[in-house]
Amino acid sequence: MALRLAALFAVALFAAGIGLLVGGTQLSVGQVAHALTHAHEGGPVATIVWQLRLPRVCIAAVVGACLAVAGALLQGMLRNPIVDPYITGVSAGAATAIVLAVIAGVSPAIAPSLGFVAGLATAVFVAALARRGSGIDVNRLILAGISLSALFSAFLSLALARAQSENYAASIVSWLAGSMAGRTWSDLLAATPYVALGMIGAASVAPALNALRVGDVRARAVGVDVARAQWVILGSSSLLAAASVALAGIVGFVGLIVPHVARRVVGSDARPLLPACAFAGAALCILADAVARTIVAPGELPIGVLLAFIGVPAFLYLYLNRERAA
Amino acid sequence: MIAVRGVDVSIAGRLLLAGLDFGIAESEIVAVLGPNGVGKTTLLRALAAMHPVERGSIRVDDADVASLTAAARARRIAFVTADDALTDALSVRDVVAIGRYPHHEWWEWSATPADRDAVERALAEVRMDAYADRLLGTLSSGERQRIFIALGLAQETPVLLLDEPTSHLDVRVAHEILALLHDLARQGKSVVCVLHDLNEAAAHADRILLLGDGRLLASGDAESVFRPDVLEAAYGLPMETVRTAGGIRVFPATSR
Repeated sequence: MALRLAALFAVALFAAGIGLLVGGTQLSVGQVAHALTHAHEGGPVATIVWQLRLPRVCIAAVVGACLAVAGALLQGMLRNPIVDPYITGVSAGAATAIVLAVIAGVSPAIAPSLGFVAGLATAVFVAALARRGSGIDVNRLILAGISLSALFSAFLSLALARAQSENYAASIVSWLAGSMAGRTWSDLLAATPYVALGMIGAASVAPALNALRVGDVRARAVGVDVARAQWVILGSSSLLAAASVALAGIVGFVGLIVPHVARRVVGSDARPLLPACAFAGAALCILADAVARTIVAPGELPIGVLLAFIGVPAFLYLYLNRERAA
Repeated sequence: MIAVRGVDVSIAGRLLLAGLDFGIAESEIVAVLGPNGVGKTTLLRALAAMHPVERGSIRVDDADVASLTAAARARRIAFVTADDALTDALSVRDVVAIGRYPHHEWWEWSATPADRDAVERALAEVRMDAYADRLLGTLSSGERQRIFIALGLAQETPVLLLDEPTSHLDVRVAHEILALLHDLARQGKSVVCVLHDLNEAAAHADRILLLGDGRLLASGDAESVFRPDVLEAAYGLPMETVRTAGGIRVFPATSR
Protein backbone atom coordinates (compact mmCIF):
# COMPACT_ATOMS: atom_id res chain seq x y z
CA MET A 1 0.00 0.00 0.00
CA ALA A 2 2.81 2.40 0.92
CA LEU A 3 4.39 1.52 -2.41
CA ARG A 4 1.25 2.41 -4.33
CA LEU A 5 0.92 5.71 -2.48
CA ALA A 6 4.57 6.46 -3.22
CA ALA A 7 3.93 5.68 -6.89
CA LEU A 8 1.02 8.14 -6.98
CA PHE A 9 3.19 10.76 -5.29
CA ALA A 10 5.86 10.16 -7.92
CA VAL A 11 3.24 10.65 -10.64
CA ALA A 12 2.29 13.98 -9.07
CA LEU A 13 5.95 15.04 -8.96
CA PHE A 14 6.41 14.00 -12.56
CA ALA A 15 3.32 16.03 -13.53
CA ALA A 16 4.80 19.02 -11.69
CA GLY A 17 7.98 18.61 -13.72
CA ILE A 18 5.98 18.69 -16.94
CA GLY A 19 4.04 21.69 -15.68
CA LEU A 20 7.29 23.58 -15.15
CA LEU A 21 8.71 22.62 -18.55
CA VAL A 22 5.85 23.50 -20.86
CA GLY A 23 4.69 26.99 -21.70
CA GLY A 24 5.03 29.87 -24.10
CA THR A 25 8.81 30.10 -23.71
CA GLN A 26 10.90 27.01 -24.50
CA LEU A 27 12.97 26.09 -21.45
CA SER A 28 15.22 23.06 -21.13
CA VAL A 29 15.22 20.70 -18.14
CA GLY A 30 18.62 22.11 -17.18
CA GLN A 31 17.42 25.72 -17.24
CA VAL A 32 14.38 24.89 -15.08
CA ALA A 33 16.48 22.87 -12.63
CA HIS A 34 19.05 25.64 -12.42
CA ALA A 35 16.37 28.27 -11.79
CA LEU A 36 14.76 26.10 -9.09
CA THR A 37 18.03 25.51 -7.24
CA HIS A 38 19.29 29.11 -7.61
CA ALA A 39 16.25 31.06 -6.50
CA HIS A 40 18.07 34.33 -5.85
CA GLU A 41 19.98 34.62 -9.10
CA GLY A 42 17.25 36.47 -10.96
CA GLY A 43 17.03 36.78 -14.74
CA PRO A 44 14.22 36.03 -17.19
CA VAL A 45 14.33 32.24 -16.72
CA ALA A 46 14.06 32.56 -12.95
CA THR A 47 11.14 34.94 -13.34
CA ILE A 48 9.30 32.55 -15.65
CA VAL A 49 9.90 29.58 -13.36
CA TRP A 50 9.36 31.27 -10.00
CA GLN A 51 6.68 33.86 -10.83
CA LEU A 52 4.72 32.26 -13.66
CA ARG A 53 4.99 28.50 -13.79
CA LEU A 54 5.68 27.35 -10.23
CA PRO A 55 2.75 29.24 -8.69
CA ARG A 56 0.44 27.78 -11.32
CA VAL A 57 1.74 24.29 -10.77
CA CYS A 58 1.30 24.68 -7.02
CA ILE A 59 -2.17 26.19 -7.36
CA ALA A 60 -3.23 23.44 -9.77
CA ALA A 61 -1.89 20.84 -7.33
CA VAL A 62 -3.77 22.38 -4.41
CA VAL A 63 -7.01 22.73 -6.40
CA GLY A 64 -6.81 19.12 -7.61
CA ALA A 65 -5.97 17.77 -4.17
CA CYS A 66 -8.76 19.78 -2.50
CA LEU A 67 -11.43 18.72 -4.97
CA ALA A 68 -10.43 15.05 -4.99
CA VAL A 69 -10.28 14.78 -1.19
CA ALA A 70 -13.59 16.65 -0.81
CA GLY A 71 -15.15 14.32 -3.38
CA ALA A 72 -13.89 11.21 -1.59
CA LEU A 73 -15.19 12.51 1.77
CA LEU A 74 -18.68 13.20 0.44
CA GLN A 75 -18.91 10.04 -1.67
CA GLY A 76 -18.02 8.06 1.44
CA MET A 77 -20.37 9.82 3.81
CA LEU A 78 -23.32 9.87 1.40
CA ARG A 79 -22.55 6.28 0.28
CA ASN A 80 -23.10 7.56 -3.21
CA PRO A 81 -20.43 7.17 -5.88
CA ILE A 82 -21.81 9.88 -8.18
CA VAL A 83 -21.58 12.73 -5.70
CA ASP A 84 -19.09 15.52 -6.35
CA PRO A 85 -17.77 18.23 -3.99
CA TYR A 86 -20.23 20.77 -5.43
CA ILE A 87 -23.23 18.74 -4.20
CA THR A 88 -23.41 21.04 -1.17
CA GLY A 89 -24.02 24.04 -3.45
CA VAL A 90 -20.55 25.54 -3.06
CA SER A 91 -20.02 26.20 -6.76
CA ALA A 92 -23.54 27.40 -7.53
CA GLY A 93 -23.56 29.78 -4.58
CA ALA A 94 -20.12 31.14 -5.39
CA ALA A 95 -20.89 31.60 -9.07
CA THR A 96 -24.17 33.41 -8.47
CA ALA A 97 -22.68 35.76 -5.91
CA ILE A 98 -19.74 36.64 -8.14
CA VAL A 99 -21.84 37.22 -11.23
CA LEU A 100 -24.29 39.42 -9.35
CA ALA A 101 -21.42 41.36 -7.77
CA VAL A 102 -19.64 41.92 -11.08
CA ILE A 103 -22.89 43.07 -12.72
CA ALA A 104 -23.49 45.40 -9.79
CA GLY A 105 -20.18 47.01 -10.64
CA VAL A 106 -17.93 45.45 -8.01
CA SER A 107 -14.36 44.88 -9.20
CA PRO A 108 -13.74 41.34 -10.53
CA ALA A 109 -10.66 41.29 -8.30
CA ILE A 110 -12.93 40.49 -5.39
CA ALA A 111 -14.18 37.31 -7.12
CA PRO A 112 -11.98 34.79 -5.25
CA SER A 113 -12.82 35.95 -1.73
CA LEU A 114 -16.46 36.56 -2.57
CA GLY A 115 -16.68 33.12 -4.17
CA PHE A 116 -15.15 31.55 -1.08
CA VAL A 117 -17.55 33.23 1.32
CA ALA A 118 -20.67 32.73 -0.80
CA GLY A 119 -19.78 29.10 -1.53
CA LEU A 120 -19.25 28.33 2.13
CA ALA A 121 -22.45 30.19 3.09
CA THR A 122 -24.42 28.10 0.60
CA ALA A 123 -22.95 24.91 2.02
CA VAL A 124 -23.91 26.00 5.55
CA PHE A 125 -27.46 26.72 4.37
CA VAL A 126 -27.72 23.33 2.65
CA ALA A 127 -26.38 21.64 5.78
CA ALA A 128 -28.95 23.47 7.90
CA LEU A 129 -31.72 22.23 5.61
CA ALA A 130 -30.37 18.67 5.82
CA ARG A 131 -30.05 18.65 9.59
CA ARG A 132 -32.00 16.02 11.47
CA GLY A 133 -31.56 15.56 15.20
CA SER A 134 -27.94 16.23 15.98
CA GLY A 135 -26.73 14.76 12.69
CA ILE A 136 -27.34 15.01 8.97
CA ASP A 137 -29.82 13.12 6.83
CA VAL A 138 -27.91 12.12 3.71
CA ASN A 139 -30.94 12.08 1.43
CA ARG A 140 -32.02 15.52 2.57
CA LEU A 141 -28.48 16.77 2.00
CA ILE A 142 -28.48 15.56 -1.60
CA LEU A 143 -31.98 16.94 -2.25
CA ALA A 144 -31.24 20.31 -0.66
CA GLY A 145 -27.92 20.61 -2.50
CA ILE A 146 -29.39 19.77 -5.88
CA SER A 147 -32.42 22.05 -5.39
CA LEU A 148 -30.39 25.06 -4.29
CA SER A 149 -27.87 24.50 -7.08
CA ALA A 150 -30.72 24.46 -9.61
CA LEU A 151 -32.15 27.66 -8.18
CA PHE A 152 -28.78 29.40 -8.33
CA SER A 153 -28.21 28.18 -11.89
CA ALA A 154 -31.47 29.86 -12.87
CA PHE A 155 -30.29 33.13 -11.30
CA LEU A 156 -27.00 32.70 -13.09
CA SER A 157 -28.59 32.18 -16.50
CA LEU A 158 -30.79 35.20 -16.00
CA ALA A 159 -27.85 37.36 -14.93
CA LEU A 160 -25.71 36.20 -17.84
CA ALA A 161 -28.50 36.81 -20.33
CA ARG A 162 -28.92 40.36 -19.03
CA ALA A 163 -25.17 40.92 -18.98
CA GLN A 164 -24.48 39.70 -22.50
CA SER A 165 -24.04 43.13 -24.06
CA GLU A 166 -21.52 44.18 -21.44
CA ASN A 167 -17.85 43.43 -21.87
CA TYR A 168 -17.46 41.68 -18.53
CA ALA A 169 -19.63 38.76 -19.58
CA ALA A 170 -16.59 37.12 -21.10
CA SER A 171 -14.58 37.31 -17.90
CA ILE A 172 -17.48 35.85 -15.92
CA VAL A 173 -17.89 33.02 -18.37
CA SER A 174 -14.21 32.18 -18.28
CA TRP A 175 -14.28 32.17 -14.47
CA LEU A 176 -17.24 29.82 -14.51
CA ALA A 177 -15.38 27.45 -16.80
CA GLY A 178 -12.48 27.31 -14.35
CA SER A 179 -9.11 28.93 -14.89
CA MET A 180 -5.90 29.59 -13.04
CA ALA A 181 -4.76 32.36 -15.38
CA GLY A 182 -3.21 35.28 -13.55
CA ARG A 183 -3.14 33.57 -10.15
CA THR A 184 -0.11 34.33 -8.01
CA TRP A 185 1.60 33.22 -4.83
CA SER A 186 -0.51 35.65 -2.81
CA ASP A 187 -3.73 33.94 -3.94
CA LEU A 188 -2.28 30.62 -2.85
CA LEU A 189 -1.15 32.08 0.47
CA ALA A 190 -4.64 33.45 1.14
CA ALA A 191 -6.21 30.03 0.57
CA THR A 192 -3.64 28.06 2.58
CA PRO A 193 -5.23 28.30 6.06
CA TYR A 194 -8.57 27.02 4.76
CA VAL A 195 -6.93 24.23 2.77
CA ALA A 196 -4.90 23.23 5.81
CA LEU A 197 -7.95 23.24 8.06
CA GLY A 198 -9.94 21.19 5.55
CA MET A 199 -7.15 18.65 5.14
CA ILE A 200 -6.68 18.25 8.90
CA GLY A 201 -10.44 17.73 9.25
CA ALA A 202 -10.37 15.15 6.47
CA ALA A 203 -7.47 13.30 8.09
CA SER A 204 -9.22 13.26 11.45
CA VAL A 205 -12.35 11.53 10.12
CA ALA A 206 -10.70 8.95 7.85
CA PRO A 207 -11.15 6.00 10.27
CA ALA A 208 -14.74 7.05 11.00
CA LEU A 209 -15.42 7.36 7.28
CA ASN A 210 -14.69 3.63 6.87
CA ALA A 211 -17.17 2.78 9.59
CA LEU A 212 -19.87 5.09 8.17
CA ARG A 213 -19.74 3.19 4.90
CA VAL A 214 -21.30 0.09 6.48
CA GLY A 215 -24.17 2.11 7.94
CA ASP A 216 -24.75 4.61 10.73
CA VAL A 217 -25.83 1.97 13.27
CA ARG A 218 -22.72 -0.14 12.73
CA ALA A 219 -20.58 3.00 12.94
CA ARG A 220 -22.18 3.93 16.28
CA ALA A 221 -21.74 0.37 17.51
CA VAL A 222 -17.96 0.55 17.09
CA GLY A 223 -17.86 3.87 18.93
CA VAL A 224 -18.09 6.49 16.16
CA ASP A 225 -19.81 9.76 17.12
CA VAL A 226 -21.81 9.74 13.90
CA ALA A 227 -23.20 13.28 14.13
CA ARG A 228 -19.79 14.79 14.86
CA ALA A 229 -18.15 12.81 12.05
CA GLN A 230 -20.84 14.02 9.63
CA TRP A 231 -20.30 17.67 10.56
CA VAL A 232 -16.53 17.35 10.27
CA ILE A 233 -16.86 15.69 6.86
CA LEU A 234 -19.31 18.31 5.63
CA GLY A 235 -17.28 21.20 7.06
CA SER A 236 -13.96 19.94 5.69
CA SER A 237 -15.30 19.13 2.24
CA SER A 238 -17.04 22.52 2.00
CA LEU A 239 -13.87 24.35 3.06
CA LEU A 240 -11.79 22.44 0.52
CA ALA A 241 -14.30 22.99 -2.29
CA ALA A 242 -14.70 26.68 -1.47
CA ALA A 243 -10.91 27.16 -1.36
CA SER A 244 -10.58 25.55 -4.77
CA VAL A 245 -13.37 27.76 -6.15
CA ALA A 246 -11.55 30.81 -4.83
CA LEU A 247 -8.31 29.66 -6.50
CA ALA A 248 -9.54 28.44 -9.87
CA GLY A 249 -13.25 29.05 -10.33
CA ILE A 250 -15.41 26.05 -11.05
CA VAL A 251 -13.31 23.06 -12.02
CA GLY A 252 -15.61 20.14 -12.61
CA PHE A 253 -15.15 16.36 -12.68
CA VAL A 254 -11.93 16.21 -10.64
CA GLY A 255 -13.88 15.67 -7.44
CA LEU A 256 -16.07 13.08 -9.12
CA ILE A 257 -13.53 11.02 -11.07
CA VAL A 258 -10.32 11.09 -9.08
CA PRO A 259 -11.77 9.22 -6.06
CA HIS A 260 -12.86 6.45 -8.43
CA VAL A 261 -9.43 6.22 -10.00
CA ALA A 262 -7.70 6.35 -6.60
CA ARG A 263 -9.97 3.59 -5.26
CA ARG A 264 -8.80 1.37 -8.10
CA VAL A 265 -5.20 1.94 -7.10
CA VAL A 266 -5.29 1.74 -3.29
CA GLY A 267 -8.70 0.19 -2.51
CA SER A 268 -11.53 1.74 -0.55
CA ASP A 269 -10.01 2.03 2.94
CA ALA A 270 -10.25 5.81 3.57
CA ARG A 271 -6.85 5.98 5.22
CA PRO A 272 -4.78 5.30 2.10
CA LEU A 273 -7.60 6.61 -0.13
CA LEU A 274 -7.51 10.25 1.03
CA PRO A 275 -3.77 10.79 0.40
CA ALA A 276 -4.09 8.84 -2.85
CA CYS A 277 -6.87 11.23 -3.93
CA ALA A 278 -4.72 14.22 -3.02
CA PHE A 279 -1.78 12.98 -5.14
CA ALA A 280 -3.89 11.84 -8.09
CA GLY A 281 -6.02 15.01 -8.05
CA ALA A 282 -2.91 17.18 -7.95
CA ALA A 283 -1.34 15.27 -10.84
CA LEU A 284 -4.49 15.49 -12.95
CA CYS A 285 -4.97 19.22 -12.43
CA ILE A 286 -1.30 20.06 -13.04
CA LEU A 287 -1.34 18.14 -16.32
CA ALA A 288 -4.71 19.57 -17.37
CA ASP A 289 -3.49 23.10 -16.63
CA ALA A 290 -0.29 22.46 -18.60
CA VAL A 291 -2.35 21.35 -21.59
CA ALA A 292 -4.88 24.17 -21.11
CA ARG A 293 -2.21 26.87 -21.36
CA THR A 294 -0.28 25.37 -24.28
CA ILE A 295 -2.80 23.74 -26.61
CA VAL A 296 -4.11 27.03 -28.05
CA ALA A 297 -1.07 29.21 -27.10
CA PRO A 298 -0.77 32.13 -26.76
CA GLY A 299 -4.41 31.82 -25.64
CA GLU A 300 -5.68 29.53 -22.89
CA LEU A 301 -8.41 26.94 -22.72
CA PRO A 302 -10.47 27.01 -19.51
CA ILE A 303 -9.27 24.06 -17.42
CA GLY A 304 -12.85 23.18 -16.50
CA VAL A 305 -13.73 22.75 -20.17
CA LEU A 306 -10.64 20.69 -20.83
CA LEU A 307 -11.31 18.42 -17.85
CA ALA A 308 -14.87 17.89 -19.01
CA PHE A 309 -13.59 16.85 -22.44
CA ILE A 310 -11.19 14.33 -20.90
CA GLY A 311 -13.12 13.59 -17.75
CA VAL A 312 -16.56 12.69 -19.02
CA PRO A 313 -15.49 9.93 -21.42
CA ALA A 314 -12.99 8.64 -18.86
CA PHE A 315 -15.65 8.55 -16.17
CA LEU A 316 -18.20 6.86 -18.37
CA TYR A 317 -15.65 4.25 -19.33
CA LEU A 318 -14.44 3.65 -15.77
CA TYR A 319 -17.76 3.61 -14.05
CA LEU A 320 -20.11 2.04 -16.56
CA ASN A 321 -17.53 -0.56 -17.48
CA ARG A 322 -17.09 -1.58 -13.87
CA GLU A 323 -20.83 -1.69 -13.29
CA ARG A 324 -21.21 -4.01 -16.24
CA ALA A 325 -18.41 -6.23 -14.99
CA ALA A 326 -19.97 -6.39 -11.51
CA MET B 1 -21.12 -9.92 33.48
CA ILE B 2 -24.27 -7.96 32.45
CA ALA B 3 -26.54 -6.75 35.25
CA VAL B 4 -29.87 -5.08 34.41
CA ARG B 5 -31.55 -3.52 37.44
CA GLY B 6 -34.98 -1.86 37.45
CA VAL B 7 -34.74 -0.70 33.85
CA ASP B 8 -37.55 1.01 31.94
CA VAL B 9 -37.16 1.33 28.17
CA SER B 10 -39.09 3.88 26.07
CA ILE B 11 -39.03 4.88 22.47
CA ALA B 12 -40.29 8.27 21.26
CA GLY B 13 -41.90 8.92 24.65
CA ARG B 14 -43.79 5.61 24.67
CA LEU B 15 -42.96 3.19 27.50
CA LEU B 16 -42.16 -0.19 25.96
CA LEU B 17 -40.77 -2.26 28.79
CA ALA B 18 -40.88 -1.59 32.53
CA GLY B 19 -39.12 -2.97 35.59
CA LEU B 20 -36.61 -5.20 33.83
CA ASP B 21 -34.34 -7.15 36.17
CA PHE B 22 -32.01 -9.80 34.88
CA GLY B 23 -28.39 -10.78 34.65
CA ILE B 24 -26.36 -12.50 31.98
CA ALA B 25 -23.32 -14.53 32.92
CA GLU B 26 -20.02 -15.20 31.24
CA SER B 27 -20.07 -18.06 28.72
CA GLU B 28 -23.84 -17.84 28.48
CA ILE B 29 -25.93 -17.53 25.32
CA VAL B 30 -29.30 -15.91 25.91
CA ALA B 31 -32.14 -15.54 23.42
CA VAL B 32 -34.54 -12.60 23.68
CA LEU B 33 -38.00 -13.52 22.37
CA GLY B 34 -41.29 -11.72 22.08
CA PRO B 35 -43.84 -10.40 19.60
CA ASN B 36 -43.08 -7.70 17.03
CA GLY B 37 -42.99 -4.23 18.51
CA VAL B 38 -42.55 -5.41 22.11
CA GLY B 39 -39.17 -3.70 22.31
CA LYS B 40 -36.63 -6.48 21.74
CA THR B 41 -34.39 -4.40 19.47
CA THR B 42 -34.75 -1.34 21.69
CA LEU B 43 -33.75 -3.41 24.73
CA LEU B 44 -30.74 -4.75 22.85
CA ARG B 45 -29.72 -1.20 21.90
CA ALA B 46 -30.14 -0.13 25.50
CA LEU B 47 -27.82 -2.99 26.56
CA ALA B 48 -25.32 -1.62 24.03
CA ALA B 49 -25.73 1.91 25.47
CA MET B 50 -26.95 3.06 22.08
CA HIS B 51 -30.39 3.89 23.45
CA PRO B 52 -30.95 5.70 26.77
CA VAL B 53 -32.92 4.00 29.53
CA GLU B 54 -35.65 5.88 31.39
CA ARG B 55 -34.88 4.38 34.76
CA GLY B 56 -32.56 1.86 36.37
CA SER B 57 -29.04 0.85 35.43
CA ILE B 58 -27.27 -1.47 33.03
CA ARG B 59 -23.82 -2.52 34.16
CA VAL B 60 -21.24 -4.50 32.24
CA ASP B 61 -18.30 -5.72 34.32
CA ASP B 62 -19.33 -3.33 37.10
CA ALA B 63 -19.25 -0.26 34.86
CA ASP B 64 -22.50 1.60 34.19
CA VAL B 65 -22.70 1.53 30.38
CA ALA B 66 -24.30 5.00 30.28
CA SER B 67 -21.19 6.51 31.86
CA LEU B 68 -18.72 5.00 29.39
CA THR B 69 -17.31 6.90 26.42
CA ALA B 70 -18.38 5.55 23.05
CA ALA B 71 -14.99 3.94 22.47
CA ALA B 72 -14.77 2.43 25.96
CA ARG B 73 -18.26 1.02 25.53
CA ALA B 74 -17.33 -0.43 22.11
CA ARG B 75 -14.36 -2.20 23.72
CA ARG B 76 -16.77 -3.97 26.10
CA ILE B 77 -19.87 -4.51 23.99
CA ALA B 78 -20.17 -5.49 20.32
CA PHE B 79 -23.56 -4.92 18.70
CA VAL B 80 -24.45 -6.67 15.44
CA THR B 81 -27.41 -4.87 13.88
CA ALA B 82 -30.07 -6.42 11.68
CA ASP B 83 -29.86 -3.46 9.27
CA ASP B 84 -29.35 -4.37 5.66
CA ALA B 85 -25.77 -4.53 4.54
CA LEU B 86 -25.29 -1.52 2.30
CA THR B 87 -23.92 -3.04 -0.84
CA ASP B 88 -20.54 -1.51 -1.14
CA ALA B 89 -17.18 -2.00 -2.70
CA LEU B 90 -15.47 -2.56 0.64
CA SER B 91 -13.43 -5.74 0.90
CA VAL B 92 -14.34 -8.27 3.57
CA ARG B 93 -11.07 -7.61 5.39
CA ASP B 94 -11.72 -3.84 5.40
CA VAL B 95 -15.21 -4.41 6.81
CA VAL B 96 -13.95 -6.60 9.64
CA ALA B 97 -11.14 -4.10 10.33
CA ILE B 98 -13.81 -1.50 11.18
CA GLY B 99 -14.17 -3.45 14.44
CA ARG B 100 -10.75 -2.14 15.45
CA TYR B 101 -12.02 1.47 15.51
CA PRO B 102 -12.51 1.68 19.30
CA HIS B 103 -8.95 0.48 19.89
CA HIS B 104 -7.45 3.59 18.28
CA GLU B 105 -7.29 7.32 18.83
CA TRP B 106 -8.26 9.32 15.77
CA TRP B 107 -4.68 10.21 14.90
CA GLU B 108 -3.55 6.57 15.04
CA TRP B 109 -4.03 5.77 11.39
CA SER B 110 -2.03 2.67 10.79
CA ALA B 111 -3.10 -0.84 11.69
CA THR B 112 -0.97 -2.47 14.39
CA PRO B 113 0.04 -6.15 14.41
CA ALA B 114 -2.61 -6.59 17.14
CA ASP B 115 -5.24 -5.20 14.73
CA ARG B 116 -4.19 -7.53 11.95
CA ASP B 117 -4.21 -10.53 14.32
CA ALA B 118 -7.66 -9.64 15.64
CA VAL B 119 -9.06 -9.31 12.10
CA GLU B 120 -7.57 -12.60 10.91
CA ARG B 121 -8.69 -14.38 14.08
CA ALA B 122 -12.24 -13.02 13.72
CA LEU B 123 -12.39 -14.15 10.10
CA ALA B 124 -11.13 -17.59 11.07
CA GLU B 125 -13.66 -17.86 13.90
CA VAL B 126 -16.57 -17.31 11.51
CA ARG B 127 -14.77 -19.56 8.98
CA MET B 128 -14.60 -16.82 6.36
CA ASP B 129 -10.81 -16.45 6.15
CA ALA B 130 -10.83 -17.61 2.54
CA TYR B 131 -13.14 -14.68 1.69
CA ALA B 132 -10.92 -11.89 3.08
CA ASP B 133 -10.22 -10.28 -0.28
CA ARG B 134 -13.74 -10.61 -1.70
CA LEU B 135 -15.97 -7.55 -1.94
CA LEU B 136 -18.83 -7.41 0.54
CA GLY B 137 -21.34 -6.91 -2.28
CA THR B 138 -20.45 -10.30 -3.79
CA LEU B 139 -21.42 -12.33 -0.70
CA SER B 140 -24.71 -14.11 0.10
CA SER B 141 -26.85 -12.96 3.06
CA GLY B 142 -25.53 -15.74 5.27
CA GLU B 143 -21.93 -14.93 4.39
CA ARG B 144 -22.54 -11.22 5.02
CA GLN B 145 -24.03 -12.05 8.42
CA ARG B 146 -20.86 -13.99 9.26
CA ILE B 147 -18.75 -11.00 8.21
CA PHE B 148 -20.72 -8.63 10.44
CA ILE B 149 -20.35 -11.07 13.33
CA ALA B 150 -16.61 -11.11 12.57
CA LEU B 151 -16.66 -7.29 12.72
CA GLY B 152 -18.10 -7.60 16.22
CA LEU B 153 -15.51 -10.25 17.16
CA ALA B 154 -12.68 -8.00 15.96
CA GLN B 155 -13.76 -5.54 18.65
CA GLU B 156 -12.56 -8.18 21.16
CA THR B 157 -15.35 -7.52 23.63
CA PRO B 158 -16.56 -9.78 26.44
CA VAL B 159 -20.17 -9.09 25.38
CA LEU B 160 -21.69 -9.82 21.95
CA LEU B 161 -25.23 -8.59 21.19
CA LEU B 162 -27.00 -9.59 17.98
CA ASP B 163 -30.29 -8.35 16.57
CA GLU B 164 -32.06 -11.08 14.59
CA PRO B 165 -28.87 -12.75 13.36
CA THR B 166 -30.86 -15.44 11.54
CA SER B 167 -33.56 -13.47 9.70
CA HIS B 168 -33.62 -13.99 5.95
CA LEU B 169 -31.37 -17.02 6.28
CA ASP B 170 -32.26 -20.52 5.20
CA VAL B 171 -32.56 -23.21 7.85
CA ARG B 172 -29.08 -24.65 7.39
CA VAL B 173 -27.29 -21.27 7.39
CA ALA B 174 -29.35 -20.14 10.39
CA HIS B 175 -28.36 -23.30 12.22
CA GLU B 176 -24.69 -22.72 11.41
CA ILE B 177 -24.83 -19.12 12.65
CA LEU B 178 -26.47 -20.16 15.93
CA ALA B 179 -24.02 -23.03 16.41
CA LEU B 180 -21.23 -20.50 15.91
CA LEU B 181 -22.73 -18.17 18.53
CA HIS B 182 -23.05 -21.14 20.88
CA ASP B 183 -19.36 -21.92 20.41
CA LEU B 184 -18.44 -18.28 21.04
CA ALA B 185 -20.36 -18.39 24.31
CA ARG B 186 -18.53 -21.57 25.29
CA GLN B 187 -15.26 -19.74 24.69
CA GLY B 188 -16.23 -17.22 27.37
CA LYS B 189 -18.32 -14.50 25.74
CA SER B 190 -21.71 -13.38 26.98
CA VAL B 191 -23.91 -13.66 23.89
CA VAL B 192 -27.39 -12.11 23.71
CA CYS B 193 -29.42 -12.44 20.53
CA VAL B 194 -32.88 -11.34 19.56
CA LEU B 195 -34.59 -14.20 17.73
CA HIS B 196 -38.00 -14.72 16.16
CA ASP B 197 -37.97 -18.46 15.78
CA LEU B 198 -38.89 -20.02 19.14
CA ASN B 199 -37.48 -23.40 18.19
CA GLU B 200 -34.12 -21.95 17.16
CA ALA B 201 -33.99 -20.38 20.62
CA ALA B 202 -34.95 -23.67 22.28
CA ALA B 203 -32.25 -25.54 20.37
CA HIS B 204 -29.34 -23.14 20.85
CA ALA B 205 -29.84 -20.82 23.83
CA ASP B 206 -28.85 -21.59 27.41
CA ARG B 207 -31.57 -19.29 28.60
CA ILE B 208 -34.57 -17.51 27.13
CA LEU B 209 -35.92 -14.08 28.06
CA LEU B 210 -39.53 -13.87 26.92
CA LEU B 211 -40.87 -10.32 26.60
CA GLY B 212 -44.57 -9.50 26.37
CA ASP B 213 -47.18 -7.16 27.75
CA GLY B 214 -44.55 -4.47 28.46
CA ARG B 215 -42.41 -6.57 30.77
CA LEU B 216 -40.23 -9.63 31.16
CA LEU B 217 -42.81 -12.45 31.16
CA ALA B 218 -40.46 -15.34 31.79
CA SER B 219 -36.80 -16.16 32.07
CA GLY B 220 -35.21 -19.59 32.16
CA ASP B 221 -34.44 -22.58 29.97
CA ALA B 222 -36.82 -23.59 27.19
CA GLU B 223 -38.49 -26.24 29.38
CA SER B 224 -39.54 -23.68 31.95
CA VAL B 225 -40.39 -20.77 29.59
CA PHE B 226 -42.23 -22.64 26.86
CA ARG B 227 -45.49 -23.28 28.69
CA PRO B 228 -48.62 -22.85 26.58
CA ASP B 229 -50.17 -20.27 28.94
CA VAL B 230 -47.01 -18.13 29.05
CA LEU B 231 -46.54 -18.25 25.28
CA GLU B 232 -50.18 -17.36 24.68
CA ALA B 233 -49.81 -14.41 27.05
CA ALA B 234 -46.82 -13.21 25.01
CA TYR B 235 -48.04 -13.77 21.48
CA GLY B 236 -51.84 -13.76 21.88
CA LEU B 237 -52.04 -17.04 20.04
CA PRO B 238 -52.80 -20.51 21.44
CA MET B 239 -49.64 -22.63 21.39
CA GLU B 240 -48.84 -26.26 21.92
CA THR B 241 -45.56 -27.85 22.89
CA VAL B 242 -44.06 -31.09 21.66
CA ARG B 243 -41.23 -33.02 23.19
CA THR B 244 -38.65 -34.24 20.66
CA ALA B 245 -35.31 -35.96 20.98
CA GLY B 246 -33.69 -32.50 20.73
CA GLY B 247 -35.86 -31.05 23.52
CA ILE B 248 -39.08 -29.07 23.72
CA ARG B 249 -40.49 -27.48 20.55
CA VAL B 250 -43.43 -25.08 20.07
CA PHE B 251 -46.10 -24.66 17.41
CA PRO B 252 -49.24 -22.53 17.01
CA ALA B 253 -52.22 -24.57 18.11
CA THR B 254 -54.45 -23.46 15.25
CA SER B 255 -55.29 -25.70 12.33
CA ARG B 256 -55.15 -22.77 9.87
